[in-house]
Amino acid sequence: MWQITGHDWVVTLLGNSIAQGRVSHACLFTGPPQVGKTTLALNLAQALNCDQLERPCQQCAPCRKISAGIHPDVRMIDLEYQALLREETPAQQRALRIETIRSLREQASLKPFEGQRKVFIIRDADDMTSEAANSLLKTLEEPPSHAVLILTARDARSLLPTIVSRCQMFGLRQVPTNLIEKELRARYKVDEERSSLLARLSSGRMGWAIATAQDDTVLKQRDDTLRQLALLPRMGRIDRLHYAEHLSRRAGSVRETLELWLGWWRDLLLIRSGCPEMISNVDLGPALEEQAAKHDLKDIVGVIDAIRRTKHQLELNVNPRLALEVLMLDLPSDSA
Amino acid sequence: MSHAFYRKWRPRTFAEVVGQDHVTQTLRNALKHSRIVHAYLFSGPRGTGKTTTARILAKAVNCLGDRVDRPCNECLMCEAVDEGRAIDLIEIDAASHTGVDDIRDLREKINFAPSVARYKFYIIDEVHMLSGSAFNALLKTLEEPPSHAIMVLATTEPHKIPATVLSRCQRFDFRPIPLEDMMARLRNIAVHEGLEVQEGALDLVARQSTGSMRDAESLLDQLSSYGGGEITLAQVQTMLGTVSSQAVKDLVDHLASCDVAAGLGQIGRAIADGADPRQLSKELVEYLRGLLLMKTTTLGPSYLTEEQRTEMARQAKSFTLDRLVSTIKLFNQATTDVRDASRPQLPLELAFVEATLSPEPDMESAATSHSAPGKKPPKRMEGEKTISGQVERRPSRFSQEAEAKPAPASVKEHGGAVTAEGAMAPLKRLQDNWTEILAAIKTSNRHVEAVIRDCPPASVEGDVVTLRARYPFHKEKLEEDRSRKLVEDDISKIMGQSYRIKCILGPSAGRQDPERADEMKSLAEDPVVKAGLELGGEIGGVQ
Repeated sequence: MWQITGHDWVVTLLGNSIAQGRVSHACLFTGPPQVGKTTLALNLAQALNCDQLERPCQQCAPCRKISAGIHPDVRMIDLEYQALLREETPAQQRALRIETIRSLREQASLKPFEGQRKVFIIRDADDMTSEAANSLLKTLEEPPSHAVLILTARDARSLLPTIVSRCQMFGLRQVPTNLIEKELRARYKVDEERSSLLARLSSGRMGWAIATAQDDTVLKQRDDTLRQLALLPRMGRIDRLHYAEHLSRRAGSVRETLELWLGWWRDLLLIRSGCPEMISNVDLGPALEEQAAKHDLKDIVGVIDAIRRTKHQLELNVNPRLALEVLMLDLPSDSA
Repeated sequence: MSHAFYRKWRPRTFAEVVGQDHVTQTLRNALKHSRIVHAYLFSGPRGTGKTTTARILAKAVNCLGDRVDRPCNECLMCEAVDEGRAIDLIEIDAASHTGVDDIRDLREKINFAPSVARYKFYIIDEVHMLSGSAFNALLKTLEEPPSHAIMVLATTEPHKIPATVLSRCQRFDFRPIPLEDMMARLRNIAVHEGLEVQEGALDLVARQSTGSMRDAESLLDQLSSYGGGEITLAQVQTMLGTVSSQAVKDLVDHLASCDVAAGLGQIGRAIADGADPRQLSKELVEYLRGLLLMKTTTLGPSYLTEEQRTEMARQAKSFTLDRLVSTIKLFNQATTDVRDASRPQLPLELAFVEATLSPEPDMESAATSHSAPGKKPPKRMEGEKTISGQVERRPSRFSQEAEAKPAPASVKEHGGAVTAEGAMAPLKRLQDNWTEILAAIKTSNRHVEAVIRDCPPASVEGDVVTLRARYPFHKEKLEEDRSRKLVEDDISKIMGQSYRIKCILGPSAGRQDPERADEMKSLAEDPVVKAGLELGGEIGGVQ
């Protein structure tokens, strides 16, 4: 049983190739964060090593070992693994380095210890340095016959084209909203209203929906953030700058806040363009309608651009307070 | 485990290498006439056959068969290379052996004679990753290796190779593989693998691979897992996340009629059906590009059927050339935007909304805006003579700029009229001609012009022109005999009356410098400045 929601075409393709015994030696899963890339990779690793006929069975010893992360022939290559290798903390790891890939190459040359295949899952392969990525090329093209490499990445274009062309690429798309909704209700016993909201908020990321369903604080925080956002247009500039300062102090949450804002303004855009059925913040419909009436499309597009710009700047390590202050000044006010 | 297609179907003779005739023919001739040199550089995009050709060359030079057209693929040496166990073919992964020590090691070993073959054959793959000192350590060996050694360097990034290395190699540039060649090759593989593939599916696979054979073979490999009968276009579309051409056409129709709601709705539906937003924007760009070709050449892209052609011609009519270009730019931006990882459809939606927004506001601002020239009504009259308005429009764009140029002068005139009340007519006249005077001074002496540009005329009394300098340095400069004479001459020449100049020191008031005043005004509009003013600041000056 493949334990993944959506992505039927991937499951079909992989299932068939497993049944025919012709799985590619290199697979690449790309897609938005938390859409199911790693889950799929682990499932594939299970299917490659499963003892049963119906692979992956999730019952046999290899399958259970892999899902517990203790199978000796399935290795997750990520920043955590690198931290172990370098005897540092995961927080110190910025990128996957060439030594890590070299260690992968060494291990790949050894025969499997107990499984059928040695599987290496390189998680977030876009974290590789250019040296590391280049040093992977030859191995990726022609690995030893017992080795399978699985890469996951957010975006194929952030990888070297030479890497992508060596892999069978599966570009995972967002999981349809109704599927997420159904899954949340069936497997995680979430009530109807909540599952519908979560499914829409997740924008197709099953992992996010599951995590949020099990953790109330995320939704509560969202409510707080959106409430403050609703107040912003009525605030004067000075108050806004204070708010920017306040936001920038809570270092970790700036990105989530901006993400929420983006969702909010996208909803305004949709309502304003006449597609209210596509919005994601379904529980706040009336408030959205009310605000949408105040802005014209051009302003909304401008705000979305400003928020995206700020997000981008934060990724480039711009001083968060400065970036947020500029954003605050860009936001329209009710009086204007 | 069976091998991936791109390994299983790796060409084994020069004839099988697709789309690189300029390389393979040269190498074959060189082999025929025994003119193989000791160092080659193969460069080109991914999946075009660099490593493959290097391996075939390795077989050819060592082939034991007596055929003219080597390699024979039958002798012991050829077999050994094919199976990857040839002891004298040394394939080095330069990307993981980047250091100078690795090259030193190579230098040491290259001197030993080959153990079985005629030549010791080195393939240094991904050579662009060698460190600078490693490249330098290689130079002497590369120039004069032992007579039994041949080296092939292969890379996708030839611009990273030092010139000293380039000049020591015979360089071959591999090209992206043409669509037809790729299709033929794929068809061939499909037949041998017992796959039935729809022609349309094959076409999409080949197009998607953008000239890389390995990409195409990977995709075909992946498709072969669908199993059960013919591989259809729909299956390829599901795999790649592309949408049907009908959906793209409809979307363009919504774009033409500026129907935002319908467009966004359709994008939403396509994504719910499993389309990849980025693929969708790529397809849109491709389609709009077709319209662009249609509009400019009236023929359009060559791959169209008659039906599509008439349909696209109809759509092309509903866009002006400028709108088409700006729309393509918007969607192209959406395909390259990687910022919205967690909401991948947002760039596409935004591009769509913006593309429907832009026509109206441009109408108003067309006169001054350079970004959207051509929305101005008179333009259309100039362009109407031909269907391919491009050629006709271009000069009009320049003429428009030329029209726009005098605008600041007229603003100045206006500003001057406010300050000059009746009696100050000579000053106004001087101010009107000031740009011309500056230009004249500039042709005689640049330095003086640079100084006087910051000294606007303050008053004219009789034949004395008073200039207001902002800094003592400017005043001193202007009072030097040479520059004063120059300025006086030029002013007199243009005003048609002799003037003397006097320089006074003082802050240049914004009022007397209309350009500055405009600047101030626009500055006060700036949100940051506005906020600053709100916080109790004031504008001290513009620098």
